[in-house]
Amino acid sequence: MHIKSNGSSNIMGGLTIIVPVKAAVPNVTAVRLDPVTHNLVREGVPLMLNPYDRNALEFALRLRDRYGGKVITMSMAPPSGKDFLESTIGMGADEAYLITDRAFAGADTLATSYTIAKSIQKLFPNFDIIVFGEETTDSATAHMPAQVASWLGLPYVYYAIEAEVKLEDRVIRVTRYLEDEGVYETYEYRLPIILSVYKNSNPPRDISLVRKINAKVNGLVKTIDNNVLKLERECIGLRGSPTMVTKIEDAKPIERKRQLFKGDPKEAARWLLENLIKEGVIRL
Amino acid sequence: MSLDRKIPIEERLNSNAWDVDQRPHIRIIDPEQCRKCDKKPCLYLCPARCYTPGPNGTVLFSHEGCLECGTCRVVCPENNIEWNYPRSGFGVQYRFG
Amino acid sequence: MSTRFDVIVVGAGPAGLTAAQQLASRGFKVLVIERGKKPGSKNVFGGRIYAHVLDRLYPEYVKEAPVERWVRRERVTFMTEDAWTTVDFETTKTEHRSFTTYLTNFVEWLGKKAESAGAVVVSEVPVDSLVIKDGRVVGVRAGNDEVYSDVVVVAEGINRLVLERSGLAPKLSPDIVALGVKEVIKLDKNTINERFGLDEDEGLAWVLAGYPTHYLPGGAFIYTNKEAITLGIVLYLKYGYQLDIPIYELIEEFRLHPLVKRLVKGGQLLEYSAHLTPVAGLNASPPNLYGNGYLVVGDAAGFLLHLGIIIRGVDFAMESGRLAAEAIIKAHDVGRYDAETLSIYGKMLEESFVLRELRTFRNAHKVLMEPRLYDDYVKLINKALARYFDVDGTPRRLGSTLLEAKGNITLLDLARDAIRVVMNL
Repeated sequence: MHIKSNGSSNIMGGLTIIVPVKAAVPNVTAVRLDPVTHNLVREGVPLMLNPYDRNALEFALRLRDRYGGKVITMSMAPPSGKDFLESTIGMGADEAYLITDRAFAGADTLATSYTIAKSIQKLFPNFDIIVFGEETTDSATAHMPAQVASWLGLPYVYYAIEAEVKLEDRVIRVTRYLEDEGVYETYEYRLPIILSVYKNSNPPRDISLVRKINAKVNGLVKTIDNNVLKLERECIGLRGSPTMVTKIEDAKPIERKRQLFKGDPKEAARWLLENLIKEGVIRL
Repeated sequence: MSLDRKIPIEERLNSNAWDVDQRPHIRIIDPEQCRKCDKKPCLYLCPARCYTPGPNGTVLFSHEGCLECGTCRVVCPENNIEWNYPRSGFGVQYRFG
Repeated sequence: MSTRFDVIVVGAGPAGLTAAQQLASRGFKVLVIERGKKPGSKNVFGGRIYAHVLDRLYPEYVKEAPVERWVRRERVTFMTEDAWTTVDFETTKTEHRSFTTYLTNFVEWLGKKAESAGAVVVSEVPVDSLVIKDGRVVGVRAGNDEVYSDVVVVAEGINRLVLERSGLAPKLSPDIVALGVKEVIKLDKNTINERFGLDEDEGLAWVLAGYPTHYLPGGAFIYTNKEAITLGIVLYLKYGYQLDIPIYELIEEFRLHPLVKRLVKGGQLLEYSAHLTPVAGLNASPPNLYGNGYLVVGDAAGFLLHLGIIIRGVDFAMESGRLAAEAIIKAHDVGRYDAETLSIYGKMLEESFVLRELRTFRNAHKVLMEPRLYDDYVKLINKALARYFDVDGTPRRLGSTLLEAKGNITLLDLARDAIRVVMNL
């Protein structure tokens, strides 16, 4: 797969940044498992913009605010996805695309990443940066950015927290944060590039009333179906999805013992240690 | 989660859908006022137990489990709670209401 | 970009969305601003809607609205820790008078009605204050944005932060509101029908007084939905300071009361919610229900009829929204939106059930805030009946049992309170 990485890009007019987003269940404790089918019962659970995608969008908006250009959000979702794409415009995205078609239904991460990668290629062949959220709050695979990078044959940096761009050289310096090691790393790449943003960075800006009115009144969320994209049936939706979910099990919550030790801290520590050993929680 | 016993408030709040803002929408204006307040109705009238006793007669609060009823603001005898609606759709997401 | 509308409605609840739908369907350019992620996601109520307003506004509601069950059974219980006395009313008539529902679903449905009439409903934005220029409301402010309109309908709900910040209402007093805390509990349909003695799709509305609030003014409620029941407690905040355990424990004690515990056994908690509700009738209203460039509707206007057993909020909210829309249409014909022209709203409220009923029951809240009702009398009824039914060979007449059970309450108190209840509720 060949990506045009220079020449035709309109980079002096600023950056073209794509932020693929997804609807997610905000906190998974509200989701129940059907005891018979073992499927997630999402009925009645409100879908909303994946919280970590907001950090990605904020990251992209900061780059645009600094270097000019535009931020485009994109989501493969049912028609109801229009609502959370309007939220992205409310935050400041310039355009939003809803990739929706019955043919895309039932997609796993592979078919989804293919659809997203191909959509970006078709609609914005001269993009500079694709910015993803670290993962979704409900399925938490973090597959999407790596798979899109693979489909497009582009470098991918994850846990990004900030970036600087030299427009004239088409170079980006990305700083990422490795939580476990407590380390910051900085990489330099030629554009285009794919990033995913560390989930606790770039706290999102508020949704603006005027921008959201604009999104609604002027219909800023554009809908794209497979008549436009013409993606191969074998690669999309259920047919393009090799993943099989055989079973999901409900993790039984552990009833707390609610034991309380009052008294000297040293004795308390000893008491705690003895009990944890006795319960098999820790071994010496 | 059996209904045959008192369900701890944290577990009850966990049955709700949330999208919590990292920025608090509640502010105790002057912690010194709380120390002087003997009744501290926020401690027992907040249905989400957002307010808990702190050291030396102070009051600690967390905004994460706020059910957005507004009771704390109304019952605070010192008018010492600044309470706003969460911004950008954040906060509790009622599914039944 | 269009940042000017004919009408801005603050709050997408039953009142605001009704006003918006009515106006948009008459060709007005309407903007509704909602702080939640979608209409309904911040709404909470007890559990029932009286349907008469819907007959008029949305005759198609019987088929379309998210009705759970039609109420055909009403119960009132006076409850102590170990005894309870219940009045149970049932009718075989199948008239559609009131139904149980989830307010979130119902408001979402109203939102779709308003949108399909042409209103622009923008969610996820809390309005900070009204924009007031030269003594008249000309728009709203949210963050750094201002949006303008000829007139603003304030439907922001009970906390009315917008009115307060705009200098149009004083801070909410604990004397005029009650706190409702509620649990939605999933139970399968057959279990509900068996335990509550209901037929298919028949609903029960139940209020309970005494023990649920530890004998303070307020009460508890239970409503049956299709596959869940909602239960909760309501406490007048005027008496909140006297509560002996935290409110989040109080609702658990109610659920674990022997009467309730067996009804919810095996259920699963789906949601835990809380909301304030106006309980002081006309006294809960802000100083003005309309002014230069604005009208106040729904809970923000204090429009809720609370008679202890009957609690009506949604129908009052929707009717006030409808009347606000009518008033705006009339003001539009005149070409002015000043207080004098909008005073037609006040007149229409007076002629409608909203103010007629609130005036008829203007003293209800004073009677209902009488602590004796929830304490002495609840205990008296149960004590008297316990004595009466406790057959041990001692002859007991109903009258003398009552006299024995009444304790420190004088007959004069009893008579006076009985008259007050009968005359005012």
